[in-house]
Amino acid sequence: MDQKHIRNFCIIAHIDHGKSTLADRILEMTESVSERDMKAQLLDDMDLERERGITIKLNAVRLKYRARNGEEYIFNLIDTPGHVDFTYEVSRSLAACEGAVLVVDSTQGVQAQTLANTYLALDNDLEIIPVINKVDMNNAQPDMTKREIEEIVGLDCEDAPLISARNGTNVEEVLEQIVQKIPAPEGDDTAPLQALVFDSFYDPYRGVIALVRIRQGKLKVGDKIRFMATGAEYEVLEVGVRTPAEVKVNELSCGDVGWFAASIKSIQDVRVGDTVTNKERPADQPLEGYRKLNPMVYCGLYPSDAAKYGDLRDALDKLQLNDASLQYEAETSQALGFGFRCGFLGLLHMDVVQERLEREYNLDLICTAPSVIYHVYMTDGTKLEIDNPAKMPDASKISRVEEPFVKASIMVPDTYIGAVMELCQNKRGIYKSMEVIDAGRNSLVYEMPLSEIIFDFFDKLKSCSKGYASLDYELIGYRKDELVRMDILLNGEPVDALSVIIHRSDAYARGSAITVKLKELIPKQQFEIPVQAAVGGKVIARTNIKSLRKNVLAKCYGGDISRKKKLLEKQKEGKKRMKEVGAVVIPQEAFMSVLSMGDDRK
Amino acid sequence: MAEYLYLHVPFCRHICYYCDFTHVAYTKNKADEWLEAVEKELSLKRINPCLKTIYIGGGTPTSLSKDQLEHLFRILKPYSANVQEYTIEINPETFDKDKAGCLKAYGVNRASIGFQTSDPGLLKAIGRNHSYEDVKKTMVLLKEHGIRNISLDLMYSLPGQTMEMLRKSVEDALALSPTHMSLYSLLVEENTVFGRRGIEPLDEETEADMYEWICEKLEREGFHQYEISNFSLEGKESLHNQAYWKYDDFYGIGCGASGKENHIRYDNTKSLSLYLKDPLIKEEIPLNTKDEMFEMAMMGLRLKQGMDLNCFTERFGIHFEEAFAGKMERLLEKGWLKIEKGHISCTKESFGILNTILIELMD
Repeated sequence: MDQKHIRNFCIIAHIDHGKSTLADRILEMTESVSERDMKAQLLDDMDLERERGITIKLNAVRLKYRARNGEEYIFNLIDTPGHVDFTYEVSRSLAACEGAVLVVDSTQGVQAQTLANTYLALDNDLEIIPVINKVDMNNAQPDMTKREIEEIVGLDCEDAPLISARNGTNVEEVLEQIVQKIPAPEGDDTAPLQALVFDSFYDPYRGVIALVRIRQGKLKVGDKIRFMATGAEYEVLEVGVRTPAEVKVNELSCGDVGWFAASIKSIQDVRVGDTVTNKERPADQPLEGYRKLNPMVYCGLYPSDAAKYGDLRDALDKLQLNDASLQYEAETSQALGFGFRCGFLGLLHMDVVQERLEREYNLDLICTAPSVIYHVYMTDGTKLEIDNPAKMPDASKISRVEEPFVKASIMVPDTYIGAVMELCQNKRGIYKSMEVIDAGRNSLVYEMPLSEIIFDFFDKLKSCSKGYASLDYELIGYRKDELVRMDILLNGEPVDALSVIIHRSDAYARGSAITVKLKELIPKQQFEIPVQAAVGGKVIARTNIKSLRKNVLAKCYGGDISRKKKLLEKQKEGKKRMKEVGAVVIPQEAFMSVLSMGDDRK
Repeated sequence: MAEYLYLHVPFCRHICYYCDFTHVAYTKNKADEWLEAVEKELSLKRINPCLKTIYIGGGTPTSLSKDQLEHLFRILKPYSANVQEYTIEINPETFDKDKAGCLKAYGVNRASIGFQTSDPGLLKAIGRNHSYEDVKKTMVLLKEHGIRNISLDLMYSLPGQTMEMLRKSVEDALALSPTHMSLYSLLVEENTVFGRRGIEPLDEETEADMYEWICEKLEREGFHQYEISNFSLEGKESLHNQAYWKYDDFYGIGCGASGKENHIRYDNTKSLSLYLKDPLIKEEIPLNTKDEMFEMAMMGLRLKQGMDLNCFTERFGIHFEEAFAGKMERLLEKGWLKIEKGHISCTKESFGILNTILIELMD
């Protein structure tokens, strides 16, 4: 296939606007997948993705499409996540494309991520095709949605196809526009190889598999290649594309998107964003890599069973291969033993990593509450970066503490403005501006501490706006505030993994909320356990966990043994996700309880 | 060979809301067919003719008619010659003079009556169709027929039950002069009326208070606690039930019964129609040494005197302390277990939290 007949594109959308459904329809209509293999959300091949209905990992497939002009085209469709946490994944897939299909739900109109993803695509010089989805719904407002896209996003919607990805209406028109509007890839087939690694994963039999976009030159089996950043050299053993099943080909040429295997056993050799070139005939320059995104949220991950520390490290190594935004380093906690401090792009990212570690690597984890990075200026003039509340130095040695602030843009319908503003005020938000976008919709801008957002802001925002408000945020810098470390003492002993950094004015409310929550969560033990919250050595809240008095099977005769043993096994299983700290057994949920605000009573 | 036999009568006239044993509504024809199947099961299995105990439980054994009861005893006759303890469970709702005569004629020497509570409201709330008066009459009938070794089953931690109501029930039960009492806290099982209604027992604190009071009260009244839920006058401990707690083998006969013989535990089919077709249909669970060692501890620690350490060593060829090395030291150190007179047992403090101890002993 010649370069002129290749189209590399991705689909971008706000979460739930129908991106994966459109991808499914395109896959069907290009006859790349038989009906038999078709399952909903085909590109979301992680179980977790299908369960949660979200896309986490990008995924690339090659499709054949015969256009109305009678010619056959190769489409490389690269799926992208929609959630704000995965902006990094989006930027990676954009770099491998020439165009993007922007899906907007005509029952909801333009949302925060519609904007954010469009700007990312424009930054990457992509041709954008707006598509109005869900026009079969009763409450669809296609004309208004078009007008919004034109006014807010600034894209011409004259030809925007009105589609229903669900039932397939007008999806062919989208395919035609891909052919007509998205440019064919440029680049010289005969120049030295430059291939951008935009994703990778580990296969237990073939080693690391790298997904690449060929910018110039060719990549074929037997080639000796070099990773330009790491300097690692290998011989290419297999080259292929995904349809979405893996299909081996002889070579990938300029403009192609595909994968290669080279029996790469060392995970560190392959970095997403690196450029692959030919060892014998190398390119002068690597391609521009990705802007490396810095994690915003940190938490400690510990194996419940201390003996699994090595397994956790291996799992993190492998996970990082196709999740380059994940960062981690070893740390030790007095309470939890050996583990890792891990950095994530956001809370959902954190959640997803934890769940993947548990599912795909069969680990039982204890996760501490998420924290941001604090800048601590000491009286001796030095500056510390604290990503773990337990490491916050003694208050007497601190001159000031700064915390990360973000600009939060919230799109919200009129009805819920009051509730959302109240929420932002409660989260120490500073009101900046409010713009009316169109009849009934507004864009609110607040400046807020990131720590307040990572706790439970997103859930609260959704519940106080019945799901209509959407959020986007970006880091705007560090600001000084009255921040103190609160320690939690169980049975008189401080538990480092339960320490939390909070605003001084919240200390009493948070202290009592946390101690009450811990009382609910920590199973009773054979002695009474005092639970205390302390700031600077002074106890500000206290409660007691009463001692366990009765945990016994009332009836157990000959015929009951099997059943009763199962009951005990279940109790035992529950204990696996608990950690013994001193004489107290602490369940996983307890580590998250330090996020309790005391206002979540139902 | 096993020396203990449990026979399960699956029939009931009414279903109690908390019960999750195998039970089916009584009809005369089904019960007749069932008797034939039991006869067949007994003759196909080679039962030890020198049994020490027989225990007929249910379901409701007394839901059978007098003739059917007699039929059942006749079937069991070849095995009951040397039996020291021959128990039948009795529901006062379905008991009369004729049935009492029948028990006497076949050598039944112990009865276990479902007393539950003396509070009429609570009895109704748990699906029992008898009154305190009915229990009283049953006791009189039994004693008239020479059956003086009588156990009463009581329940506590019932929804709506107060400490005061429990006290009254226990006093009322004691007034009938039983020789043995079993007191069970309510456990709501999934496949029961209570389970489906989402009923819950009382909170742990109240339940623990009730339990403490029961243990003290019965001790004062001369009933010593020999197992977590069982109390008896001197020498009236249940021989049959102690066999379970000592982890001895026993036969399980009848639809829905379980047994243990030669390192195999088995559950007879719970389906009456399957049982009638083939009374030997069962699910077998082979027990390995590890299972058996844990289960022996799980059962033995329920006894006040604990588990006989010599018995354990004889059975498994390894000392208990070795078999549970690493775990034992911790439990002894914490004061949850103690070793005395060749037995390992819970302490007074840990008796009520045996589950916590067993979980520690588990792998």
